[in-house]
Amino acid sequence: MKDFDLEKLERKNIYKVPENLFENIQGKVLSGMNDFDLEKLERKNIYAVPDNLFETVQENVINSVMPVKKAPIFKLNWMYAAAASLALIFGATFVFNNTNDNIAEQKYAVNEQKPKTESQMAYETLESDLTSVENNNQTVRNQENKKAVAANNDRAETVNDNEKNKTVKAVSTQKEGQMNEYLDSFSTSEISELASNSTQDVYLDVYN
Amino acid sequence: MKIKDAEIISLMQNPRTLEQGVRALMDAYQSRLYWHIRRIIVDGDLAQDTLQDTFIKAYQNFHQFKNDSQLYTWLYRIATNEALQQINKLKKMQKTDEDPEYYMQNLVADNTSGDAEEIQILLQSAIQSLPEKQKLVFMMRYYDDLPYEEISKIVDMSVGTLKTNYHYAKQKIEDYIKENYQK
Repeated sequence: MKDFDLEKLERKNIYKVPENLFENIQGKVLSGMNDFDLEKLERKNIYAVPDNLFETVQENVINSVMPVKKAPIFKLNWMYAAAASLALIFGATFVFNNTNDNIAEQKYAVNEQKPKTESQMAYETLESDLTSVENNNQTVRNQENKKAVAANNDRAETVNDNEKNKTVKAVSTQKEGQMNEYLDSFSTSEISELASNSTQDVYLDVYN
Repeated sequence: MKIKDAEIISLMQNPRTLEQGVRALMDAYQSRLYWHIRRIIVDGDLAQDTLQDTFIKAYQNFHQFKNDSQLYTWLYRIATNEALQQINKLKKMQKTDEDPEYYMQNLVADNTSGDAEEIQILLQSAIQSLPEKQKLVFMMRYYDDLPYEEISKIVDMSVGTLKTNYHYAKQKIEDYIKENYQK
C-alpha cells in the first residue's frame, strides 16, 4: 500500500442503481412529469356514487329527526259546543227515562208475583172466614127454604137434570169419539211407545 | 350564499317550518359535505352513513349554532369529526399487522369508477399517504377552496400552521405522483 497511486485505480461506481433508471427519467422528462404542477391538475371526483344517493339520505334524515305528526286538533266554536252538550243531555235523559219505564213495568210485573205479606194473609183469612160464616148462614136458610120448595121443584129439577146430563153426555161422547179416532190412527207399537214415555213423565213428575 | 344561509337558519328556528329548513339545509350542503367525507373515508356506504349522521347531529345541535360563524364552517366541523370517528373505528377493526396507509390506498383502487384517469387515482392514493392533519388541510384547501381562516375554525389550528401543513402536503403529493406515474 506504500506504492498506492490513485491515478492507477480503476474508476468504478459501487452504488446500486434501480433498473431502467435512465429510461424512466427520460420518460418523465418527455411526458412533462418533471415539471408537474398539482395546481394545474383538474379537480375531479373519481369515486363511483350510487343512484338516488341524496334522496335516500334526505328521507333517512327526515324520518329520524322529524317527530311523528299528531292527529289535528279541531278548535270548536262555543255555540257548537253548547248545542252538542244540550243534545247530549236531552238524548241521555230520553234514553234514561225509557229504560226507567221499562224497569218500572218489569218491577210491577214482578211485584204481582211476589208472595203476600203476613198482614195481608191474615186480613184475607179473616175476610174468607167471615164470608164462609155468612155463606153457612145462608145455606142453613136456603136449606129451610129448599125443603119447602123442594117438593115443587122436584119435577122441574128432574127435568133440568135430565137435560144437563144429556148435554154433558153429548159433549163427552163427542170427545171420546174424537179420542178413539185419534187413538185408532196410531199403530200398536206407537201406542206402546207413548205409554212408555208417559211412565217416564210420571217418574219425572214424582222427582220434581 | 349568505342570504341563503340566513333563510335556512330562519326556517329551522321556526317549529312550523322546521322540516322545510332541514330539507333546505341538505339541498344546499349535501353534495359538498358528501365529497368532503368521501375523500376522507373513501368507502361509499360508510360515507353515506356518515353524511346522514352529520345532518342528524346538525339538527340535534342546531340550538348551539351561533350566527357569528358561517353555517358551512359549522357543518364542515361536524362532518370532519364524524368522518374521523369512522376512520378511527376502521383502524381499530383492522388487523394489527396491516399498514393503515396501504389499506386506504387499496380502498381507493377498489372504489374508483372505471373511467378514472391514472393520475387522478394516484392523487387520491397520495392523499391517503399523508398524516391526518395534512390530509384534512390539503383537501379543504385544494378541493373546497376554503380560506385558511375558516379551515382554522374547523380543525382548531392556527393559520400559520395550516399554511405550513398545506405546503408540505402539496410537496409530498407531487413527489409521490412523479415517482409513481407511468405513462
